[in-house]
Amino acid sequence: MIPADKSKADANPTKAFFVRMITRDITLEDCIFDLIDNSIDGAWELAGGHPLSLDDDTDLSPYKISIKIDGNSFEISDNCGGITLDDAADYAFTFGRKEDAATENFSIGVYGIGMKRAVFKIGSEIEIRSTYKTEDGLASFRVPINVEQWLASGDENWDFDIEEAEDLEQTGVSISIVQLTEASNRSFESPRFLRNLRRAIARDYALHLHRGLVIEVQGKPVSGWKIELRQGGEFNPMRAQFEEELDGEKVFVEVLAGMSAPPPDDSEPSEDFDEGQNISGWYVVCNGRIVLAADKSILTGWGTEGWPQWHPQYTGFMGIIIFSSRRADLLPLTTTKRSVDETSVIYRQFRPKMRETTKEWISYTNTRKQIRDEAVKKEEVAKAVPIFKVSVRQEVELPKIMPKPKVPEANVLYTVPKPRLRSLASAFGNINMAYKDVGLRSFEYAFEDLVGDE
Amino acid sequence: MASFDSINYSIRPSKSVQRGLVFEGLRRISDVMDVGDAVYVGLGSIWFTDFVQAHKVLGINDMVSIEANEIGFRRAIFNKVYRTITVMEGRTRARLPDVLGIDGYNARPWIIWLDYDSALDEEVVEDMQWVVSNAPPNSVVLFTLSATQNAYGSKPIQRPERIRTLLGDVVPDDLAKEDCMKETLPVTLASLTMDFLKSEVADSARPGGFIEAFKIPYLDSVAMVTVGGILPAKGAAAAARALVAEASWKGVVEEVIEAPPMTLREIATLQAELPASAALTRARIQELGFDLHERQVKSFQQYYKYLPSFAEIIA
Repeated sequence: MIPADKSKADANPTKAFFVRMITRDITLEDCIFDLIDNSIDGAWELAGGHPLSLDDDTDLSPYKISIKIDGNSFEISDNCGGITLDDAADYAFTFGRKEDAATENFSIGVYGIGMKRAVFKIGSEIEIRSTYKTEDGLASFRVPINVEQWLASGDENWDFDIEEAEDLEQTGVSISIVQLTEASNRSFESPRFLRNLRRAIARDYALHLHRGLVIEVQGKPVSGWKIELRQGGEFNPMRAQFEEELDGEKVFVEVLAGMSAPPPDDSEPSEDFDEGQNISGWYVVCNGRIVLAADKSILTGWGTEGWPQWHPQYTGFMGIIIFSSRRADLLPLTTTKRSVDETSVIYRQFRPKMRETTKEWISYTNTRKQIRDEAVKKEEVAKAVPIFKVSVRQEVELPKIMPKPKVPEANVLYTVPKPRLRSLASAFGNINMAYKDVGLRSFEYAFEDLVGDE
Repeated sequence: MASFDSINYSIRPSKSVQRGLVFEGLRRISDVMDVGDAVYVGLGSIWFTDFVQAHKVLGINDMVSIEANEIGFRRAIFNKVYRTITVMEGRTRARLPDVLGIDGYNARPWIIWLDYDSALDEEVVEDMQWVVSNAPPNSVVLFTLSATQNAYGSKPIQRPERIRTLLGDVVPDDLAKEDCMKETLPVTLASLTMDFLKSEVADSARPGGFIEAFKIPYLDSVAMVTVGGILPAKGAAAAARALVAEASWKGVVEEVIEAPPMTLREIATLQAELPASAALTRARIQELGFDLHERQVKSFQQYYKYLPSFAEIIA
């Protein structure tokens, strides 16, 4: 017989779980991005809230998001409309999305966890202020959160107080955080963190920045990354558009793939920084936000059935798959927005398309090895075109080149101290010359000297 | 060529100013942070100029000098100025772990000044990484590098890429060749190397963090930069931070120090005009009977207290 007081297993959540546990599953950078996403959702709603396809030319230039970071504080503010008092009281601060919450059109935020998790990860003294438009003019409020006090107040009362506040300069939201966590304190002191944050914003919000949105870090606007594919001659990227229906709701999908840069001459892994390899791979975009960039892993199919693992030989390939829907929960977003949900129906549906086009490129780079000079000439004809300007075509077009009988080749491999190699590179006129080129130049130099004409 | 074969670098005037600023800074740091039983680690060459200062100004007895050159090593042993200096032979990267291995040295603060005469290269970057991750709490670390533009690429366009190869992600994507010219490179290199050190410390989550304390570009016949900071124990960070934030802190210099080589007579004549609240002018120097460039006049007035006087002794 189960005693009456033991007839229920306590399954209530604890505050500590949200403050100390779920914050471990996300990087600091992605937390900041969660806050940017909220601002962008506000801007997108104000700008009309429609599918963010490449052809769309919504003007986001009136909207600005500013981030200020120092060793002791973090602040993000925007002019993207603000949170209304009703939304704040009923939805914005709820942990997890309520069933009856209205769907924000084509939003990036979907799970109702981003802002809370982000601020908890960054620090423990938080103030969220909002100014928004009402029928009678502007209205404002503030929500101060002292995390330690909130935790200490027990697991029965989860509410945050909403207080009167002065209006912000423009309608929008401002979040300021002090008493930083040790991890954010360390990262915010790192110039490398801040420069990489700018780079990641430039890349992951490229589609919004292209439409004029201003994102400032430390007072300096971030320039969006120009995503380009090569088009011309025998190279034509794929750009195909699809419309699917899921749960009675439309999901728009656009797939682009092709050559973003000529493949490398040398496919051996190099220890040096390689820009080409860095940007190659698959990109997944959900409602305008790049959630997976330059992926070369099993997530986008590499190394799965009928698809080889990534190899530096494939450098130069870029594929972009863009999903948009009024209901963000139908998209393959994860809660961190730094990956894709592989089990997502819509994502699985498009994986074969991604595979076909990737295999075309793999096959091209295999043939190319044998007819390198001819391939290089053809590649030179193709010019970089912004993805927005790529012509629509259902499949990627790559040169059809017949391999020629080849002269047997010898591979030379040797090791020398790096400073000596750099000295020789410098003597050849370029201290940054690739190791391979230093080797080839030395060979040619010796060959000419000792052998002469062939 | 090893530096001791080219010049006695204790007689470069801007170098003397830089050394004066560094040791004044170190003395002030020792007032607010417990570096009482510190060890001095440096590249003493055959002159040991900085070791003498470390002993006299900071009262440090235990000192280690690392010397890579075989002949230099023999000469360093011969020339070492105090009994308590240990000279180690080899490259810094190979010997620094041995310094840490000396009994008790891993628990005492280090004042470590790797005063290279060469440019930033992969080996120096490795040394920096090793030092900021291994130096014990309350250490002060300093690095001096050549900022001669050609060492980073004979053509200006090559230099941003070379610096990016060395320092990685801290280098802004928009670093331009204009930032890497003869006049601009010392300041660029000082800032980026400092950013690199800060980032390395932040990424390795050292409890007290890294406090920027020295950024000194200077020029004798070649442009050099000294960068450095404090790696405080957690409890000492606030006091150290407050010290370098004071207006009187002289370790961070925005303009390149270019102290002119001058005769004793010139120095004596100019010194008699100082201290003065108004700026000395070139016209005034001409009135006094000789001449200097404006920037040299400015450097002299700013740093005359640190300038050495040289005279040849015929022995």
